[in-house]
Amino acid sequence: MENNMILSVHNLDVKFSLRGRTLHAIRGVSLDIYQGESLAIVGESGSGKSVFVKSFMGLLDQNGYIDSGSILYNNKNLAKFKTEREWLTIRGREIAMVMQDPMTSLNPLKPIGKQIEEAILLHQGIKGAAAHAAAIDILADVGIDNPEHRFKQYPHEFSGGMRQRVVIAIAVACKPKVLICDEPTTALDVTIQAQILDLIKKLQKKYNLTTIYITHDLGVVANVADRIAVMYAGDLVEVGSCEEVFYDPRHPYTWALLSSLPQLGVKGEPLYSIHGTPPNLFHEVKGDAFAARNPQALKIDFEIRPPYFQVSPTHKARTWLLDPRAPKVEPPEHIRVLREQGGKYRAQ
Amino acid sequence: MAKYIIKRLGSAVISLFIITACIFLLLRLMPIEGYLGAGYEKMSPEVVQNQLRSLGLLDPVWVQLKNFYVNLFHGNLGISWIYRPNVPITDILAAKIPISISMGAAAMALALVVGLPLGVVMSRFKGGLPDKLGTSFIVLLNAVPVVVFYLIIQLYGSKIFGVPMLFSKTDWRTWILPTVCLSIGSIANYAMWMRRYMVDELNSDYVRLAMAKGVSRRNIMYHHVFRNAFVPMIQLLPASLLMTIMGSIYVESLFSVPGMGGLLVDVIKRQDNTMVQALVLIFATMGILGLLLGDLLMALADPRIKLTRGEDGR
Repeated sequence: MENNMILSVHNLDVKFSLRGRTLHAIRGVSLDIYQGESLAIVGESGSGKSVFVKSFMGLLDQNGYIDSGSILYNNKNLAKFKTEREWLTIRGREIAMVMQDPMTSLNPLKPIGKQIEEAILLHQGIKGAAAHAAAIDILADVGIDNPEHRFKQYPHEFSGGMRQRVVIAIAVACKPKVLICDEPTTALDVTIQAQILDLIKKLQKKYNLTTIYITHDLGVVANVADRIAVMYAGDLVEVGSCEEVFYDPRHPYTWALLSSLPQLGVKGEPLYSIHGTPPNLFHEVKGDAFAARNPQALKIDFEIRPPYFQVSPTHKARTWLLDPRAPKVEPPEHIRVLREQGGKYRAQ
Repeated sequence: MAKYIIKRLGSAVISLFIITACIFLLLRLMPIEGYLGAGYEKMSPEVVQNQLRSLGLLDPVWVQLKNFYVNLFHGNLGISWIYRPNVPITDILAAKIPISISMGAAAMALALVVGLPLGVVMSRFKGGLPDKLGTSFIVLLNAVPVVVFYLIIQLYGSKIFGVPMLFSKTDWRTWILPTVCLSIGSIANYAMWMRRYMVDELNSDYVRLAMAKGVSRRNIMYHHVFRNAFVPMIQLLPASLLMTIMGSIYVESLFSVPGMGGLLVDVIKRQDNTMVQALVLIFATMGILGLLLGDLLMALADPRIKLTRGEDGR
C-alpha cells in the first residue's frame, strides 16, 4: 500500500436538526484514506456510513451539517466549505460518486450519452465533437456494446446492470481522484453484481482511482477491499486491512457482524443474529455504543467511551477488551473458526 | 405516430357526431318559439304551420338531422333566424372567431409566461416568502368563484389604469383586462402544479447524481428538473384550454367583446337554435382538438411514452 494520504478526516461530527431535536449522526470519526487504495466502510443500515461519505462532497441533506472536525483534501479543509461555489471545485472534479439505485439515478428525459457528456464538458475542458467522442470512449470502457448507437438512447431502454454501468461511466467521465461507491450493487441482480465490481476494479486500475465502498454486504467487501472500516452508531469501531478484520477481528460488534454471515452458519442450527436495536442517536451515547447489545460487555463499556487500541500498525479497534487490564473474553465460536482459517490462509 | 393521429382524429369525428346529434335533438324538444322570431304570439296557426314547413321543421326528426349533417359536410352551418335573420352563420362567425381566438391565445400565453415561472420560483424558495405569497394567491383564487375576480378586475382595473371598461376593437388597451381575466384561473393552476412537480423532481435520485457530478443547483433546475416537471404539466394544457373557453363565455359578455363566447350566451337567451348548434359544434371541436394536442405534446416531450400500444409503453 502506498502511504500518500489523499483524504484525511479528523474528529468529524455530523449532526442533523430534526424538528428542534439534534441527531448526532457521526460522532467524532477519524480516518485516513490513502492514494490508490480501496477502502470499504461496512455497517448496518442507519449506522451513518452514507452520511459520512456524503459529508466529503457537501451532499448532506439540508438539515444536516458538519458540527466540528476537519476533512483535509489537497490542503483544503472541506469541513469549512460553505458555498456551492466551493463545493463545485470538489464535486465530480475531485471526488465522484456512484449511487445505489441505477433505476432512478439517471435523468429519464436525457439520452444517456448527453448525461455523460455533461460531466465531460464540466470537468475535462473539451468541447463539441471531442467531448462527444470522449463520451463514446467511456461508454465502451464500461462495457456497453455499440456505444455510438447507445449514446442516443434513453435510460428506460437499458437494463438495471447497464444503467449502473452508465452511472459509473458518468462518475469516471468526471476524471475524479476519489470514487465513492455507495452500495453500488445492492439494487442489482446477484449475477450482475460481480460484473459491476469487476468493472469498478478495472477502472480503478486504469484511471488510478482511490475507491471508497459503502456496503453492508461483507461478500462485496471480501471481493474488493484492501482495508475495512467497521461503522456502528456513527463511529468507526474497528479499522484494519481486509485480512485483519476478517480473520482477526477484535471488536465485539465486528464479531457479531461476521457471525451473522449466513455462510458461517452451521446446518441445523438457527442463524446468528444481533439482538436489540442500535442506540438512539438523538441522545448522547455513553460508553461503548454497542455495549447494550453485547452479552459479554464489561462494566466499563457502559461508562467510558473506549479509545482506539492499536493491534498492529494497520489495525486498530475501539474496545476496552484490548486494554491490558481487561479480563480475557473469548470471541464467539464462529470467529474462532475464522481465525483458524486465517492461520491457514497466512501459512499458504 | 401518424397512424395514431389518424385514429384519434377518427374518434374525434365520432365524438363530434354524437355531441351535435345530442344538441340537435335537445333543441328540437324546446318550445318552437325559437324558430318563429319576434311577434310569434300574433301569428295565426296557418302562418305558424307555413313558417315551420318552410324551415323543414315538419319533416320527421331523422330527416332534419340528416339534412343538418349534409349541410355541415358542405361547410354550411345554416342561417340564423333571430340573431341576424337570414344571414348565413358562417358569415356571422367569420368576423367573431378571430377575436376570440386571439384573445384566448393571448390569455393562454400569459398564463404560461406568468404561471410557470411563478411555480418555479416558489419551488426554488420552498417554505420562504415567495412560496408563501404564491400559495396564498393560489388558495385565494381557488377558494373564491373566479367570477368575483372578473368583476373586481373590471371595476378596479379600469379605474386604476384608466382603461375603458368595455372592449373596443381598435383600442389595444381594452384587450388587457379581459385577457388578464381569462388567464388568472390558469395562472393559479399552472403555478400550483408546477411548484408541486418541481419539488417532487428536486427530491429525485437523478438530481442527487447531477449534484455529485458537479452540476450547479441553478443548472440542475433548468437543464434537468424543469423538463421533467414540465411533462406532467402538459396534461394541464387541454384543461386550461377548456377553462379559457368557458371563461370566455362569461368574460366576453362582461366586457362586451364581440367574440364567440359572449355570442353563445346571447343566442341561447334569444333561442336562436341554429346558432346554438353551430357554436356548440365549434366549442366541442376545440375541446377535443385540445385534448389530442395535449397527448401528442406529451409523447413528444417524454421518450418513455408510446402512444401506440407497445410492450414497453407506459
